[in-house]
Amino acid sequence: MSGNTVLDIQGLSGGYSLNRPVLHDISFQVKPGEMVGLIGLNGAGKSTTMKHILGLMNPQKGDIRVQGKKREEDSETYHGSLAFVPESPLLYEEMTVREHLEFTARAYGVGRGDYEERADRLARIFRMQDKVDSLSTHLSKGMRQKVMIMCAFVARPSLYIIDEPFLGLDPLGIRSLLDFMVELKEGGSSILLSSHILSTIENYCDRFIVLHQGSVIAQGTLQDIAAQAGTTGAGLEDMFYTLVQGRD
Amino acid sequence: MDLSQLRSERRGRFWGKEVLPYLGYVIQSGVAVLLLFLLIAFSAWYTSLVQHIPTGLPIRWIMLILFVPLTVNSGFRTYLQPADTVFLLPQESKMNSYFNASWISGVVYKLLGLALVFLISWPLYVRSDGDPKSFWPFLIILIALKVLASYGCWKELRMVSRRATMAYRLLRYVILALAVAAWLWQPEGRSLIFIVLLAATYIVALRVPAKHLVAWDRLIAQEKTQSGRVLMMLGWFVNVPGRQQRIYARKWLSWAGNRIPWKPEAAYRYLLMKSFVRSDILGIVLRAGILGALLVWWTRSGMMGSGIYLFFVFLAGVQMSSLLRYHSESFWLHVYPIPPGSRRTNAIGLAFQIQLLFAVLTWLPLLGAGSDRLGAVFLTLATGVIVCLLFRFFAGRKKPSDDDDE
Repeated sequence: MSGNTVLDIQGLSGGYSLNRPVLHDISFQVKPGEMVGLIGLNGAGKSTTMKHILGLMNPQKGDIRVQGKKREEDSETYHGSLAFVPESPLLYEEMTVREHLEFTARAYGVGRGDYEERADRLARIFRMQDKVDSLSTHLSKGMRQKVMIMCAFVARPSLYIIDEPFLGLDPLGIRSLLDFMVELKEGGSSILLSSHILSTIENYCDRFIVLHQGSVIAQGTLQDIAAQAGTTGAGLEDMFYTLVQGRD
Repeated sequence: MDLSQLRSERRGRFWGKEVLPYLGYVIQSGVAVLLLFLLIAFSAWYTSLVQHIPTGLPIRWIMLILFVPLTVNSGFRTYLQPADTVFLLPQESKMNSYFNASWISGVVYKLLGLALVFLISWPLYVRSDGDPKSFWPFLIILIALKVLASYGCWKELRMVSRRATMAYRLLRYVILALAVAAWLWQPEGRSLIFIVLLAATYIVALRVPAKHLVAWDRLIAQEKTQSGRVLMMLGWFVNVPGRQQRIYARKWLSWAGNRIPWKPEAAYRYLLMKSFVRSDILGIVLRAGILGALLVWWTRSGMMGSGIYLFFVFLAGVQMSSLLRYHSESFWLHVYPIPPGSRRTNAIGLAFQIQLLFAVLTWLPLLGAGSDRLGAVFLTLATGVIVCLLFRFFAGRKKPSDDDDE
């Protein structure tokens, strides 16, 4: 099943306490070159799902495979195959932007030449050239978010887990990010993206997974979601509203 | 809202919940026993020094070096939190009642420390100086200078311009150094007039720069530094959860770590090196190194030099052990593909290398002892290296914490 799948989640149940799982029997896949939108209300389980994929939480039931490997089987390969962009920037206060990029490249085993080329390009795309030698404490929230995104992109793994990346970004930053994600996708990388800005992601994602109260209530292409929601000709926002309406 | 009560609750929470639970472990730890032993050894050495004072002891310089930092250094625990910029901001005009206790405790405890050091150093001073000042005037001058420095420091914290803060900090050091030096070298009456004029000018100068009513961001940053230091000191004895310390840009050291091998196994070492060069630890190790080298140079002709040298190598080891706990809760170290085991190996290796470099550099002044003590001097170096190896050995033997490599 996982032969041509970058991320394969089967029957995942999990949460902070054994008695009260937050996620209930979640299954979905992300294939190479696919951008998948993970959508849901606050508390639906999007971040918890991501934490399970990252290995920060252990599944109570079910399996998570990245590039066909479970984390327990080969932690280094597993983590080397994915990069994460968190909702809130998590930076080392004692490092500059350039040093963050370099640390990431070193950890992911990116060659020095590739790192330099990628870092220069990313700094240009995200308009951070004059900030690369600034300590992270001297950056605005949006710039800090850009550093997070640049770090993930400098690593170039096969799977990107991106949680609410647009928060704090300026309009040009959002456009640069979307363009870059499309470029990565066309290059064969896979992206699992969570966002509340449905009107933006509906034009970029190939498929969507709708989470509600820890369960997948719909998944598929925009047409599939429309069929499951019983709406035709509506946008993702309306479909989502129809799907979660009355389920509380 | 009772703001003084709020501060008192926060103070109680910090010391009661964050520090007190570890004190038992501090007492049990071997490092505490060793420090106690060193204290006893120091007492014995000091008693013998006071009884047999070497001729030509530069006591005024010693007193100057001892008391300038003690009078200048000021700091206030405000227990402010980042959320206060939202929730306490409406109370800004009433914050004096919150800060009063900070000011009093910030001055009183430091005065007690100053008086203690003064009492300890008094026998040495009064026996070595050809024309010593009287006890009470000396102590009162030191107390007055300490209060003046604290007042200056408090005003600096409120200044709007960062440059003005830096300039006034420098001014505080210069004023206090001049005042203490004048007191030590000049006759009492003349130096007193000089100090009063200096203090009056300084107080007037402090009124010039524009100030915030409450400099929230700066006070919060300072509180973070202060609490971080307390936990760092606790960390010398027991494992305490890492707390972010103050970060220094130190652009002149931005090259450090760049030549670390470019491979995942050494990635953590890169992070650690960058953290080290911008941390408080580097500052402490550098100050200890300079002080150690000076003391070693001064006592190089006897066994005392070797003893002081080994004490400073030990001190550097204790300080470097903080490096092992750096980033213990770092999110990225769980997410990035850092090879298992490399975190601990890198941290122990880096701490060892820095301590070894410290041991070699602070040993160099001993070479000035001359060729007749060469054997003892090299034996001292060998012992210093053994101390470094012991630190490495014990760091390697400690059970890795749960959040370390899996």
